[in-house]
Amino acid sequence: MLGVGCSAFLLLSATAAFAADDDAQREANKFFESEVRPLLVKRCFECHGEKKQKGGLRADSIGALKTGGDNGPALVPGDPEKSPMIQGVRYADKDFQMPPKQKLPDAEIATLEKWIKMGAPWPQTEADKGKIVEGGFTEEQRNWWSFRPLAKVSPPEIASAWVRNDIDRFVAKKQAEMHLDPAPEADRRELVRRVYFDLHGLPPTPAQVEAFVNDKSPDAYEKLVDELLASPQYGERWAQHWLDLVRYAESDGYNADEYRPAVWPYRDWVIKSLNNDMPYNEFVRDQIAGDEIAPNDPNVLIATEYLRNPIYEWNQRDVRGQWEIILNDITDTSGELFLGLSFGCARCHNHKFDPILQKDYYRLKAFFAPVHWRDDLKLATPEQKAKYDEQEAKWEAATAEIRAQMDALTKPLVDKKVEHAVDKFTDDLQTIIRKPSGERDALETQLAGLCQRQMTKEEKTFDPMKSIKSEESKAKYKELETELKKFDSLKPTPLMDAFVATDASAKAPPTFMKSRKGEQEVAPGFLTLLAPGDPDIQPIGNSTGRRTALANWITRPDNQLSTRVIVNRVWQYHFGRGIVATASDFGKLGEKPVFPELLDWLAERFVAEGWSLKKLHREILLSATYRQTARRQATEVAAKLDPTNHLLWRFNPQRLDAEEVRDSMLEASGELDFKAGGPAEDGNSMRRSIYTMKKRNNQNELLRSLDAPAGFSSTAERQSTTTPTQALLLINGDWPIQRARKLAGRVEKLDDAWTYTLGRLPTAQEREQAEAFIKQRTGGASAHSTSGADAAENAGEFKENTPQERLLVQTPEKEGDEFTVESIFTLNSIDTAAAVRTIASRWTGGKDSLESFGWSLGVTGEKSRFKPRNLIIQLVGEDDNTNIAYEVIPSNVRIELGHRYHASATVSCIDHNVIFRVQDLTQPDAQPQTVTVPCSVRAKLSGGASSLVFGGLNKRAPQHQWDGRIEAVRIATGKLPEQELTSADPSKWKSALVNWTAALGPSTQFAWSGSDAKATEASDPYRQALNDLCQVLLNTNEFFYLH
Amino acid sequence: MSCHHYDHPHSRREFLRRAGCGFGAVALAALMRDNVLATEEGAPKPTAPSKFPDHVARAKNVIFLFMEGGPSHLDTFDRKPLLNELAGQGLPASFKAPITAMGESKSPLLACKRTWKQHGQSGLWISDWFNRVAEHADDLAIVHSCASDGINHAGGVCSMNTGSVFGGRPSLGAWVSYGLGSENQNLPGFVVIKDSEGTVVNGVRNWGSGFMPAVYQGVEFNVEGAPIKHLENPKGVTNARQREKLDLLAEFNREYGATRTDNTELEARIRGYELAYRMQAEAPAVVDLSKETEATKQLYGMDHEETAVFGRNCLLARRLVENGVRFVQLYSGAGSKWDSHKNIEPLHSKLCRSVDQPIAGLLSDLKMRGLLDETLVIWGGEFGRTPMSEQGDGRDHNPTGFTMWMAGGGVKGGQIFGATDDLGLYAVEDRLHVHDIHATILNLLGIDHTKLIYSHKGRPERIDQNEGHAYKKIVS
Repeated sequence: MLGVGCSAFLLLSATAAFAADDDAQREANKFFESEVRPLLVKRCFECHGEKKQKGGLRADSIGALKTGGDNGPALVPGDPEKSPMIQGVRYADKDFQMPPKQKLPDAEIATLEKWIKMGAPWPQTEADKGKIVEGGFTEEQRNWWSFRPLAKVSPPEIASAWVRNDIDRFVAKKQAEMHLDPAPEADRRELVRRVYFDLHGLPPTPAQVEAFVNDKSPDAYEKLVDELLASPQYGERWAQHWLDLVRYAESDGYNADEYRPAVWPYRDWVIKSLNNDMPYNEFVRDQIAGDEIAPNDPNVLIATEYLRNPIYEWNQRDVRGQWEIILNDITDTSGELFLGLSFGCARCHNHKFDPILQKDYYRLKAFFAPVHWRDDLKLATPEQKAKYDEQEAKWEAATAEIRAQMDALTKPLVDKKVEHAVDKFTDDLQTIIRKPSGERDALETQLAGLCQRQMTKEEKTFDPMKSIKSEESKAKYKELETELKKFDSLKPTPLMDAFVATDASAKAPPTFMKSRKGEQEVAPGFLTLLAPGDPDIQPIGNSTGRRTALANWITRPDNQLSTRVIVNRVWQYHFGRGIVATASDFGKLGEKPVFPELLDWLAERFVAEGWSLKKLHREILLSATYRQTARRQATEVAAKLDPTNHLLWRFNPQRLDAEEVRDSMLEASGELDFKAGGPAEDGNSMRRSIYTMKKRNNQNELLRSLDAPAGFSSTAERQSTTTPTQALLLINGDWPIQRARKLAGRVEKLDDAWTYTLGRLPTAQEREQAEAFIKQRTGGASAHSTSGADAAENAGEFKENTPQERLLVQTPEKEGDEFTVESIFTLNSIDTAAAVRTIASRWTGGKDSLESFGWSLGVTGEKSRFKPRNLIIQLVGEDDNTNIAYEVIPSNVRIELGHRYHASATVSCIDHNVIFRVQDLTQPDAQPQTVTVPCSVRAKLSGGASSLVFGGLNKRAPQHQWDGRIEAVRIATGKLPEQELTSADPSKWKSALVNWTAALGPSTQFAWSGSDAKATEASDPYRQALNDLCQVLLNTNEFFYLH
Repeated sequence: MSCHHYDHPHSRREFLRRAGCGFGAVALAALMRDNVLATEEGAPKPTAPSKFPDHVARAKNVIFLFMEGGPSHLDTFDRKPLLNELAGQGLPASFKAPITAMGESKSPLLACKRTWKQHGQSGLWISDWFNRVAEHADDLAIVHSCASDGINHAGGVCSMNTGSVFGGRPSLGAWVSYGLGSENQNLPGFVVIKDSEGTVVNGVRNWGSGFMPAVYQGVEFNVEGAPIKHLENPKGVTNARQREKLDLLAEFNREYGATRTDNTELEARIRGYELAYRMQAEAPAVVDLSKETEATKQLYGMDHEETAVFGRNCLLARRLVENGVRFVQLYSGAGSKWDSHKNIEPLHSKLCRSVDQPIAGLLSDLKMRGLLDETLVIWGGEFGRTPMSEQGDGRDHNPTGFTMWMAGGGVKGGQIFGATDDLGLYAVEDRLHVHDIHATILNLLGIDHTKLIYSHKGRPERIDQNEGHAYKKIVS
């Protein structure tokens, strides 16, 4: 690092006055704002401020301090020793001690000394801070750039051949002022790659590159831009930006991190809206108030999922506290997202830097205060609902009798369970819960709704077979269940749940602001600075109408904040940095716009063009500014005056986002699946990353490592980090290696490796390097024996790198939480590390996600904590706290290598134990050993993503691969009694969920999975070298960067 | 873009912009022992007033022993005779009824069944569940008055790690890495080891970097097989083959970078792969215990089955700290195993036994090697447990008053700090909220927590959300 640090440091110290002065000024301002002003406010203003001026002195402006009070100036800039103020705070003179009550801490005195020594900098525009104009705001606050109305600007007249459209006029003017010149236009290859990633998040295919490079028509680029904007991939890329901003995720985000199965339609709505170029004002209005705008239109209602994004804990007993947190979260996020202001800072006090009153925080919060998280709505049109109800009524009528009988058996038990959950709430909440819903006020409705989830959970987890005591009733219940099933054909197809929000009622709950002065009720309102009055709010049906009023204000054509904010965000996503670099903070701690007139011009035009994002993209993309090359080193002038490229004298280099990297790898390997929309899939799916499951606590490893946000708070700008652990994942991780392998598989000639990954041919030098690399490999390697080809004749053999590695099993249903696995096997070796050789499993090998729920029976390796050769079963399921639990249940029976065994494991989540029965068949008089071991997993053993596999895990994992024979496996639902587990002759085993006997030959239920490409690869040094070359290319900086 | 660090934010970001377009350089800087400020200014200037550490501190490293699930302070370090006197009765009316996770505020008080003794010259009361740790009584600074906001495990563990009951903020270890950097460029600065395969509540985000760059996040070490995920070459790939691959990659990257020298992120990525390769060599050596003597292993209880796992982890923690890892967090009872809503006697007995000897061994070993003074050892959980019983023989969560202790790292040993009320329900004297605890820990590391600032979306963020105070009485 030091090398880099030092050279960059030299660069930094060599820069000229422009940047340095700016920095010094900023430092001084920052020091004043963060250290000095708070100190003055806290220590001096009470007596020397607006209200009181003891000794005739005010300490709230530099002018006043310099002028001083009755005893003359309070300070002498640059000279603390001569400043009476310092003498006072030092308590040097017994008769002049400030503040009189108590001496300041030394650190604060030092701060004042330092400040005066610096020349007592007081930010310039603050000089007349004392002048408070109407509404308690100063002139300076009113004049802060982001609060000023949009300026009516015309593009400057510029005589420049470089200019392509009006955007360039603003840029060229500013550049000219600074004696900068723009970079040349990027060549076609650079440009096509940039614009594909920018609009689609994907690299162009080799054919697409060539098509553009060779398009001779004068409007080739315009055509390309239009074509890309019209493609559905545009929405899939740009929706990701919006999802970052609204902190979209598909799980609750607390410990239980429950999956939100009905949230994905919102993601699809965002994609679709962007693809349809829905006007941004409508896009915003639907998300804030879709339920009030068109309650019966599922395509609008789903937009209010925006209000459901906060993290949430379903089993939280402090329901009131949690609801406050949720409302605050919605308020904070909305302030940042739509208005670009850090409202969150004003929750406990007036904003320290921006004119946001504490009251304004609660005025904004009050718009959201009536929100009710609904779990009872469906994403369906009234017609669909009516049809559903009609059909459901038929089913209900037909089954009323059966269900009544079932209820008679279970209802008292369920009620007891639910009642027990209610009892756990505090008394006030219990009162609310027990009230009839019609009598609850708005807040009570909201709270009861949150409480209800805990009761619903009790109902959902109610298991009649575990709770009904008498065998007779159990049998009766089962019988009824079977009977009920017969009517399934009458059941309507379920409607999609609507993960949305509405108001709790037309009368809003009160919003209280807590301050030192006590508690005060606050009505909804906008930023006092801009709109001090009370907005006109009319109830809409059973809704307060508050959010509609808010949405209308945010989307007013003359709203200077929201319009600038969105235009700036779009600019940021195109250029890597906004005109305002802090896209979610337009306040004083943020940065100021680099091209203020351009920002206002774009905002005006955006509104005038009907809030069309696509038109805005087009305008930006067609500019000469956008088309500049990124491949330009700073000129001498640029290095001095604008080393950080604020003024865009070239295009900013950018690293690809996490999703772009993942999608590009899939594209390069030829595996990318363009299927659009629908439920999310896990990271092993070949679909675009926007469809990868977003569990807040279990992010996809690759995406997380490349800075994809977890969805806890609004993300306006992605980080771009580089770490060794990221490099380890990319170079050693299974997923990237698989992509390289697949890529190598489609490479016919060396050049293909470059065109697939980097969209170009290799240079002569690169070709030489690659050939040398391959030659070194193939020349030095000895030929591998081809293995396993004839292993098939022995049907029970399982071995790595043969066609018979694992047997994949299809089952009509799953074995559930109580089951028996029985097998006859011989083991030849164990893993030299700690991995478990697997007999049978339903497991991905993961331990901390819902997909990883499952189990695996096998034998431990050399370094296992459970000692080697231990027959164990691993379980991943839910424990009593509904946490994800992983546990190893050891039998402590050692398996001798080369011996033939008959063993079974009977797992019961109800009895909380596993019974192992193991018999060594090689020793004729060996007695079976039976061991019972307790387990704590309670449920969901079959709930994961894995299918049933013999001889290994769901995914190929060589260290877990069985090495030896498995002659037979039986899997039965339920606990088989011991007398049914004594026969070592599989032909005598009773039929169960799965019966497999190797000797009986193949069947459609079972499919071998073997090493295909890998077996060849291992024996083919050329293949191996090509794989490595492909992996190298997928790791190059050129692959990761647009530069 | 505003910068993310105290004092020179803007220029640092400027530095980065100049350097390229992001965080690569800083990420590496943090890995390569520089603290963030040093990179900003190039050459270190030790006299600069705002440097970290900003005062002379003895602690350089932290070993945080996290008893996940909530150990009972009432049965271990906070003796309450009144509890046994009132056992079986309800909470006296003079106590405010708390909101508890399981709604046990009205249940009868549960007596403590432990035998208590005073230990060491200082005469600290410690129960027989920690007899071995008690031998170090004179090194322990026991804080009886800890408090947290999280009443559930999710909120509690998140709060103890990040200061907030909900996710998204950087963890303590991340703040420390951010403030002090790493001492060993071939190892992560922040390492987490669990005592079982159980998932710590909330999963990996407990040691995440929140809104800070990922470089500050904790790296989980596995105790079996490769210590870090993806550390081993892919199956069948020899070191030579791996090296050849990385060499070819470096060649391609150099050529690409040759005409883009102003983008230091490109260089950072090249170095990232080199560091990864070195980590592949170094990390396994650090976790290799074969060179430790039998006597050392016994000291940590590795010769007994019930203490073997945590003993090994404590020994690993010592080795990591010795090798320059700044912050090590060990989880005992990963997956809320200390949670004892019923049957607290057998549950806690077993867990206390599993950590008592290992922790005592760790303290002895650190002391023998002269490392205790520069290593701050912290013991605690996300909360304590209630004086009220639950289901007859258990205790509910108590975040309103519980015990943590610290040793080494410049704390005043052999002392009690703060106090809970007579039943151990609420902290009443020198209450230390989690924010204060974090501030105190940073203070012991020489960091003024009010100055360790990361600017995030326009807000100057601190570990304590501007609410904490360093508890200075604890500094020796």
